[in-house]
Amino acid sequence: LSRLAGVAARLDGFLPARRRRRSTDKWRAWLLLLPTLGLLIAMSIYPLLYAGFLSLQIRNMFSPRAAHFGGLANYMELVRDSYFWRSVELTLVFSITVVSLQIVLGFVLALILSRVRKLSDLLCTLIILPVFVSPIAMGLTWRFMFEPTTGVINWILAQLGLPTSLWLSGTRMALPGIMIADTWQWTPFVAMILLAALRAIPPEIIEAARIDRLSLAQMLHRIIVPMLWPVLVVVVLIRLVDSIRIFDLVYVMTRGGPGTSTLVASVYNYTIFQSGRIGIMAAFGFLMLVFINVLVAAVLRLLARLERRDRRAMAI
Amino acid sequence: VRSPLRYVVDLLAAAIVATWLAPIYWIALTAAKPESAINTAKPVFVSFEPTIANYALLFTRFEFDRVLLNSLTIVGVSTAITITVAVPAAYSLTRMRLRQGENLALFILSLRFMPAVVVVLPFYLMFRAFGLIDTTGGMILIYVAFGLPFAVWLLRGFLKDLPPDVEEAARIDRLGLLRILWRIVVPMARSGIAVTAIFTFVFGWNEYLYALVLTETNAITVPIQISKMIDAYSVLWGPLSAAVVLQLLPMIVVVFILQRHIVRGLTLGAIK
Repeated sequence: LSRLAGVAARLDGFLPARRRRRSTDKWRAWLLLLPTLGLLIAMSIYPLLYAGFLSLQIRNMFSPRAAHFGGLANYMELVRDSYFWRSVELTLVFSITVVSLQIVLGFVLALILSRVRKLSDLLCTLIILPVFVSPIAMGLTWRFMFEPTTGVINWILAQLGLPTSLWLSGTRMALPGIMIADTWQWTPFVAMILLAALRAIPPEIIEAARIDRLSLAQMLHRIIVPMLWPVLVVVVLIRLVDSIRIFDLVYVMTRGGPGTSTLVASVYNYTIFQSGRIGIMAAFGFLMLVFINVLVAAVLRLLARLERRDRRAMAI
Repeated sequence: VRSPLRYVVDLLAAAIVATWLAPIYWIALTAAKPESAINTAKPVFVSFEPTIANYALLFTRFEFDRVLLNSLTIVGVSTAITITVAVPAAYSLTRMRLRQGENLALFILSLRFMPAVVVVLPFYLMFRAFGLIDTTGGMILIYVAFGLPFAVWLLRGFLKDLPPDVEEAARIDRLGLLRILWRIVVPMARSGIAVTAIFTFVFGWNEYLYALVLTETNAITVPIQISKMIDAYSVLWGPLSAAVVLQLLPMIVVVFILQRHIVRGLTLGAIK
């Protein structure tokens, strides 16, 4: 570093004043970034590379001496592991279901809230509360409410003359139970974002549509949904990534059980960690990372294309 | 049209919001119940003697004094460090016109999408090698790394909103860079900084997986202690509900403070 500083100092003498100011500015810009970059390299980049290295090793936490290079053996083992495919399937089913539910419910909620006259601020502040409560606290609350014999949910269902269920204690309704808890927690998030986007639609457009006597369905189809597209894509992206890597809520509600009925990817990966199979765990984590990155890149590309199309439409 | 009908939507929305929050009242109600009114076949709604016994039990039996202090120390200190480190970085990324600035910012953001399960293993092995497992210091370090990408990205958005003229003037007056940051940028961006700090605090306060893997007894945080209460063979829903209420109570304060900044923070500044 001192050598570089020396070079910079020598350059200083040669360059005209304006250029010199730019180059010292650049140094100072990097200096301000230094603590952040240092921390991120030590605590994010290095661990990621380390995880990549571990994924190529046959290694067990409980017999560290026996560790050796195994190439892609861990990945091969995962591909042959039926639990792995089970967890992939469950994660995809879970993510697609909850994100669709949350988008639909959130959109309805946003439309209702956008028509509110007086209480808007208060209601928006209250409804967002679930998003800020930890999945641990909320997962346990739902687990308490889902108790088969003493839980309040089965009691309400019975009062309404509806069939009760084992919920988290049975293999059939455990995953739907978690989906309900997740949807309860994240629908307000979707609603608040869509509401912000709805409010950003210029009122003249809505007014014009009203003068043209568009029905609500037409208005949704022709104006609101097209204008909400980019925001919708961002929301879907954030929610998809979060539900693909979901751990806390599932772990605290069911630990992946009963049986394998809620064994989503992160939870299964954690059980691999508990069994000490470091290499396999790292390989699994890496696959998740790659999958999420590909997904994010694909969605961002879609977003860029939508924006380009919009700009072209504007130009016309 | 002046009819009471125009508030129908307000009433409908209020009813939806009130129903939506039912799980929160239910857990708060349970926390105030004596043991005998909790695990009943027919739920008890009003007919019970309210008690603080469940909260008292948290402190006498489940060490909540120590665990709360742990959480406050770890999350408080890590938030302070995160913001101190993130403000200069965000400033550099917004105002210093680095050629790679935009790419660098995007790269920092991408770290935010990393699944915790990927890095928790390397962290565990690194921490074991350095004797950082189950230490407050180690947890602070983790939470700084965990909060930093988000904080830098969000702050960058807030700093972009500031008018650059004042700093330009200060620069012409030959104020040093750190002084410009401290005397001009920080005061102007203080609400943005406060919002970022609150969000960083919330993420740390609610974090679970890192704490689960990297702590044992000494440095455990509130979410870990709560989840440990259910590991026992009989679940004590009374104290557990009280613990849940304690954990979510600060969040009620948080949503009222944040109000209009919530959407922006939750979407990493993508939507203002």
